[in-house]
Amino acid sequence: MKPGKASSIIVLTSISDGQESYLESVGLEISRLFGYPTVAMPLLDSIDFAYNTQRDQYHSTAILTRLAELAPPDALKILAVTDRDLYIPILTHVYGEAQLGGRACIVSTHRLNEGISAGGDPERLRCRLMKEAVHELGHTFNLKHCPETRCIMHYCRKIEHVDRKSQAFCRYCRVLLQDELDRMAEETP
Amino acid sequence: MGGSKILIVDDELIVRESLAGWLERDGHQLKTASSGEEALAMIEESRFDIILLDIKMGGMSGLDVLKAVKENDPDIAVIMITAYGSVNTAVEAMKHGATDYLMKPFDPDELGILIERIEKQQLQALENQYLRQEVRERTRFESMIGQSKAMQKVFELIRDVAPTDSTVLIRGETGTGKGLAAKAVHTLSRRCAGPFVSINCGAFPEQLLESELFGYQKGAFTDAKETKKGRFELAHGGTLFLDEIGEISMRMQIDLLRILEDHVFYRLGSTQPLEVDFRVIAATNRNLEQAIRERSFREDLYYRLNVFTFEMPPLRERKEDIPLLAAHFLHRFAQETNKPVERISRDALDEMMLYEWPGNIRELENAVERAVVVAKGPTILPEHLPIFSPDQMTLEPADQSLKELEKAHIVKILEQHQWNISKCAETLGIDRSTLYSKMKRYGIRKKD
Repeated sequence: MKPGKASSIIVLTSISDGQESYLESVGLEISRLFGYPTVAMPLLDSIDFAYNTQRDQYHSTAILTRLAELAPPDALKILAVTDRDLYIPILTHVYGEAQLGGRACIVSTHRLNEGISAGGDPERLRCRLMKEAVHELGHTFNLKHCPETRCIMHYCRKIEHVDRKSQAFCRYCRVLLQDELDRMAEETP
Repeated sequence: MGGSKILIVDDELIVRESLAGWLERDGHQLKTASSGEEALAMIEESRFDIILLDIKMGGMSGLDVLKAVKENDPDIAVIMITAYGSVNTAVEAMKHGATDYLMKPFDPDELGILIERIEKQQLQALENQYLRQEVRERTRFESMIGQSKAMQKVFELIRDVAPTDSTVLIRGETGTGKGLAAKAVHTLSRRCAGPFVSINCGAFPEQLLESELFGYQKGAFTDAKETKKGRFELAHGGTLFLDEIGEISMRMQIDLLRILEDHVFYRLGSTQPLEVDFRVIAATNRNLEQAIRERSFREDLYYRLNVFTFEMPPLRERKEDIPLLAAHFLHRFAQETNKPVERISRDALDEMMLYEWPGNIRELENAVERAVVVAKGPTILPEHLPIFSPDQMTLEPADQSLKELEKAHIVKILEQHQWNISKCAETLGIDRSTLYSKMKRYGIRKKD
């Protein structure tokens, strides 16, 4: 993919312990698919401000707003990874959230463990996280959910559907992503 | 599926914002309203496919909003949003026509599945409507009629462009005869011995349009029992007329651009490339330049289509053609209905000349058809025309502005159809959103 703004970076940040190990592989994949260099850096010490005691969950929209405020000026997009359970007020839970056409997105591993035995299958979890991270980041580039079940922008209702989808954009989403990158390049002074 | 027009009605900002943000990612077009009153005003302005409606709100209750919505347009799907403890009200809402209800907070999957189910039902209804319309149109082919300067210019442009193989973009309001102009270009072209295949892109949701255009291989999806040729294939050697091109999805625009460039496509579920040779004529009533600015239409596709363009004039700008058109429709409908109606009275023709015809030729055609049906003798009189209500007939048309006449006519048609917006819009030959905006402009409301 041809990037739109050569001097920009995509910031990756872990907002809970133990997620840093994922950032490297996620970063490589993102650079490959979006064409921008990635930089991992801490941005938030705590996300307690987003915690809802009644639900025992974290309000993802509030986290996104804070991330967008804290990101360095050359950060074109910010992707956060957490293991906390996320929600938006009207829904019981979300796997992740993104500002559509905006700057920040977040993805949680909390429910991505589903179907993985207690002994764990770190590679499978990493693969799911990678797909969902690219998916959420895709939203910040204005991509919407795609009906192609193999496309990474497909919205998966079940975790096995995440396993089934590929790690690539379909031809439509590739064109739409390139359009967005071109548009961003045009807007750059 | 995606792409539905959804209105979220809730007095809590956080609910409106989070739900809108969530659904936007599915490609739906979202609007929000913070009260029932605001929602009803928005529904008058534009048409929605689905309304997500909170039951408990300050001011007008969700149940009252539901009743008002259903009274105006029973086709809109309404999903009630309820909190724990108000399930009884939700059940009551189902009795008043709500499609379903969700208890908040709801599972994202539950919401997604429900919206998909509604979209499928609406798609089915659309398909049926389209098929009925197609049958009707097949039996009503006309050649183009017009002596006016505006139409003479159109004929000249058609004669100029027809022999070339250029892509043509025809613009113009609904009902101005864009389809007939496309057919005329084909008939006068070197491809006239080939097929003229038309498709109304606005009549199909994305998935259905895809299978209509590309065709499919047996087994491509559950319902694909036999291999079916799409319109691209059927148009080989002839002309493909893409009506309402401004309504196609971004994904379909990508495909269309590729086919216009390469002349190669694949049936759904097939890996065999098919080469096709057809001329494309597209038509739209949308401002495509505006759509490009709003990023709902691709600029590269626009330039590919906009090689030669002309505009069909609205009927109000070619009123001198009304007598000719009216006489043509009169003879046709008299023949079809086997009624001895032979002429249109001077007074009736005067009324027709005074009217604005917002639905253009299609509205005139409907008006004459109705007049032929209700006429008792050989002559069509003013009272046979649906454009004037009897109480206005006591006034000389000169006493009323065109706007007043239009308002009175809309009220009359609404009353004739018990305020059913869909039926009324069909009779007037305009779409529902145009009707809603006219009702708002003239302050037309149903009396209690």
